[in-house]
Amino acid sequence: MDFYLGLAQIIGIHTLLGLSAYCVLLTGQVSLAQAGFFAIGAYVAGMLTVLAEWPLIPALLAAAVIAGAIACAVGFPALRLRGLMLVVATIAFGESVRLFFFNFDYQITRGNIRVGPLGGEGFRQIRYFPEHGWSTLEVLLFVWMVVTLVMAALWWMDRSRAGAVLRAVGEDEVAAQSTGINITAVKVSAMTVGGVIAGAGGGIFAHYTTHIEHVQFGVVLATFAIAYPILGGLSNVFGTLLAVLFVQGFLIEGLRFLGDWRNLLFGALILLAMNLRPRGLLDAGAIAALRRLSYRKDATGA
Amino acid sequence: MDLLDLIDTIQSIADGLLFGATYAMLGIGFTLIFGVMHKINLAYAAASVGAAYASLLILAGVKAPPAVVFLLSAVAGGVLGGIVYVVCFRFIPLVNPLATLMSTVGLLLLIDEIIVHETQGVPLAYPALFSDVIVRAGPFGLRGDLMFVFALGCVSMVVLLLLVYRTRLGLATRAVSQQPTAAQLCGISLDQVNGFTFIVTGVVGGVAGAMTGAAIGMLSPLLSLPLTVKGLIVTVIGGLGSIPGAIIAGLLVGGFENIFQFLRGVSERDLYVMLLLFAFLVFRPGGMFRTSSARE
Amino acid sequence: MRILAVAIAALLGGAALFVPESTFAQERTVKITGFGAKSGVVRVFGVNSEAALKAAAEEINNSGGVTLGDGTKAKIVVEFLDDRCNAEEGISVVRRIASTDAFIAVGPTCSNVAESLFGILQKKVGDSSDSGLQFPIIADVAAKGGLAKISEWAFRNVPSEFEMYKSLFAWLKTQHPDLKTIYGGVEKDFAHSNATFGVMKEQAAVNGFQLAGQSEWLLADTTFSTQVREMKRADADIVAISAHPFTTCGVLKEMERQGVKPKLLIGLTSSSSIETLQGCAKQAEGIIIPTSFAPVTPEAKMAAERVAKFGGSADLHSAAAYEVMFILRDVIEAQKIMARPDTVAADRVKMREGLAALKETKGLLGKIGRTPDREAIKPFLYVHAKDGSWEVLYNPAS
Repeated sequence: MDFYLGLAQIIGIHTLLGLSAYCVLLTGQVSLAQAGFFAIGAYVAGMLTVLAEWPLIPALLAAAVIAGAIACAVGFPALRLRGLMLVVATIAFGESVRLFFFNFDYQITRGNIRVGPLGGEGFRQIRYFPEHGWSTLEVLLFVWMVVTLVMAALWWMDRSRAGAVLRAVGEDEVAAQSTGINITAVKVSAMTVGGVIAGAGGGIFAHYTTHIEHVQFGVVLATFAIAYPILGGLSNVFGTLLAVLFVQGFLIEGLRFLGDWRNLLFGALILLAMNLRPRGLLDAGAIAALRRLSYRKDATGA
Repeated sequence: MDLLDLIDTIQSIADGLLFGATYAMLGIGFTLIFGVMHKINLAYAAASVGAAYASLLILAGVKAPPAVVFLLSAVAGGVLGGIVYVVCFRFIPLVNPLATLMSTVGLLLLIDEIIVHETQGVPLAYPALFSDVIVRAGPFGLRGDLMFVFALGCVSMVVLLLLVYRTRLGLATRAVSQQPTAAQLCGISLDQVNGFTFIVTGVVGGVAGAMTGAAIGMLSPLLSLPLTVKGLIVTVIGGLGSIPGAIIAGLLVGGFENIFQFLRGVSERDLYVMLLLFAFLVFRPGGMFRTSSARE
Repeated sequence: MRILAVAIAALLGGAALFVPESTFAQERTVKITGFGAKSGVVRVFGVNSEAALKAAAEEINNSGGVTLGDGTKAKIVVEFLDDRCNAEEGISVVRRIASTDAFIAVGPTCSNVAESLFGILQKKVGDSSDSGLQFPIIADVAAKGGLAKISEWAFRNVPSEFEMYKSLFAWLKTQHPDLKTIYGGVEKDFAHSNATFGVMKEQAAVNGFQLAGQSEWLLADTTFSTQVREMKRADADIVAISAHPFTTCGVLKEMERQGVKPKLLIGLTSSSSIETLQGCAKQAEGIIIPTSFAPVTPEAKMAAERVAKFGGSADLHSAAAYEVMFILRDVIEAQKIMARPDTVAADRVKMREGLAALKETKGLLGKIGRTPDREAIKPFLYVHAKDGSWEVLYNPAS
């Protein structure tokens, strides 16, 4: 049982990572910097709960705010870049954040041990959850409470004018600008919101793994971050959730019985998924089909 | 700074510039794909390393002269290039650039895993040409094998420029990337041209992979991701689509890497390379030799 | 519907008749799950660990199996899970194992996974305010210093690099009293290399060698000209390299290129494997590495053969896994583990107690001591690379 609860926690954390990229992808920007914001959130939240002994929720809020602020700062220069240049710039940013933490030492003595991030060795003993007696179920509920909040906020935004504006900028910037939309404000806000979500996700991640190090926040994690919304489809927040379930639940854990073949199938299945469903698992067509199904049920039910 | 330090600094720069020749070779292929074909292929570096591995594994213990191994790597690169096209680009509609991006990521993961499965992740020794040739110029020594790589890079540049600007295939490639519909109306087969271009860039990649393996002396699955990132940086600094730009940018990145390492140590070296990239993005977004199409 | 129910009942009844009574009574199995990295550059470690665990299990099963608390003999079945050297997956894998009837897990390969894993375990036994996992784990490969201290449920059977290099430098001083200076090279972004380098420097200084300087590089670096030039300028008698095979070979090749020939070369424990020889046998000629495994005793030779039968190769890491299986057998028998679905929690506690109570265990090279913070003090010897293979240079125990 504990295993499934733990798996659900991972899915929740990765959903946050995916949603942060989803936000930014809606405006047409391919950002490989989300892992960087994730890292910032992780280190800040970890340092606040371990070194400053803050309670968890204020620490996560602070982590989210700081990551969001940095994302806002990154959003401005990112405006000038398109396509591949933006991809490379965001990779470079993510790598810079990782390298910063590789060089970052801040330890204090507590009792007879030193705690805090130690450059390449990482930041160990972020044990807020076990130390305060949280059970796996309680952590799970907490993670999913945050995820639900974020998903609800994004869902609501999608159905409001803000969502339409974001997608308009994503579809065709020139057209959007000619209708009077402030492209700068939209793109930077999307980047900021993405940063906030990634920061919160990173903070929870740090407490989940109890030990974080710079290696975890590299290009691979950044690629996973955009993989989730692309694989899931950009029409809907549930697409990202579905993609996380697919990757973490099915590809990584579900295929374990295949032993060595699992790793080979990982890349192969992503390839297949993109060839078969280029707009994502839950694209506009799939959603329309699902809606038709529910209409038909209503019709027969009545 | 005394004389010894000065000599060391210059030697460091020279070493970096020469090693940058390997980045230059990789950058040429990247810039062709991104600049001329406007397609993001993140699996390029992995395919190049994969081609180098293939050349070793096909020969499996047979003592072949290095030139044969390199040739085999080029051929394998071409084959892999064709596979990349069919598997990642052929069946995905052009309007979905994100899908092709993700499919190349999937292929990168697949190639890496195949390499790891075949070799158990253990580094393999790679043959080199002129590996014991050191050209001495006073107190400085220049690696002969890296100078050969640089020469090869220049030859590739000439061959590719001729291909792209003087042949019908090159004309067709440029037509297809600029105006796919009009090109089709002129009777150019999209699939054939794209496929062929991928194969050509794959051959370049195979050579680049072989040269990188020869310069390091070993192949390891560790290489694919860092080479992808470096290749992308070189492409952006050099200018999308500019082959001479890719070569010069490759040498530049190599030189700067070494100089940053010499001055500030290895932990901060990559940070400064990123800052260099950011400087280019801010002050010269099209890269050093920006082509008109790159100024998006 | 009723016909279906009757048919199923008949089938089940018939099947029960055909199952011989004896199979339920005697053929018991105990599953021991190992886990480690079977992906990426560290795949070879996982493959070797799995082979070693299976080889040891076969050996135990061939001599009757393990005696459980109720007197029955059970065969050991080994399962090995891949954590891809990833902390999240490692946690998932251990949670998966802990949700079965398992009472012990062997692993991980990577030190970063061990850090996270030991961090989610309950820190102190009996602390009811700590909701950490209560499941014993014994590590075969993860070698970064001081990890078992993190939790009382964490154990390791890895060599103590402190002891090995302390002894090595002391011995080198007696063998080569003319050598004075030492130059170091380290893979800065790999925690294990970094930590061991600290040990190397400390022990060299303690034994009277003067540190002439150090060079640094990263684990995926491909060019070392600047570092080797610094080494050349320092012109030290001894060069010590704390890095894994890929960069060690890169540095050694660059040293050959620049004509740097120190009188002695010292390497990192993990590099005393076939990887280094496959990459640069010629340049690595003569490199001295302390290791906790070499086929010098009859047990070690037999173990090496058996592990090879299962598709792995025996080196200091997989040998530790081999030894762990026998340690587990001894603790299972001493603690009278019942290995039944209803005794799982009790078995885990007994397993932990049993492992914590060990003062010494039997290793392939001799007796292994156990420390109060659950680490191992393993016998070791020095090997050097000669003509493309590792040969024993000196055995301190002899």
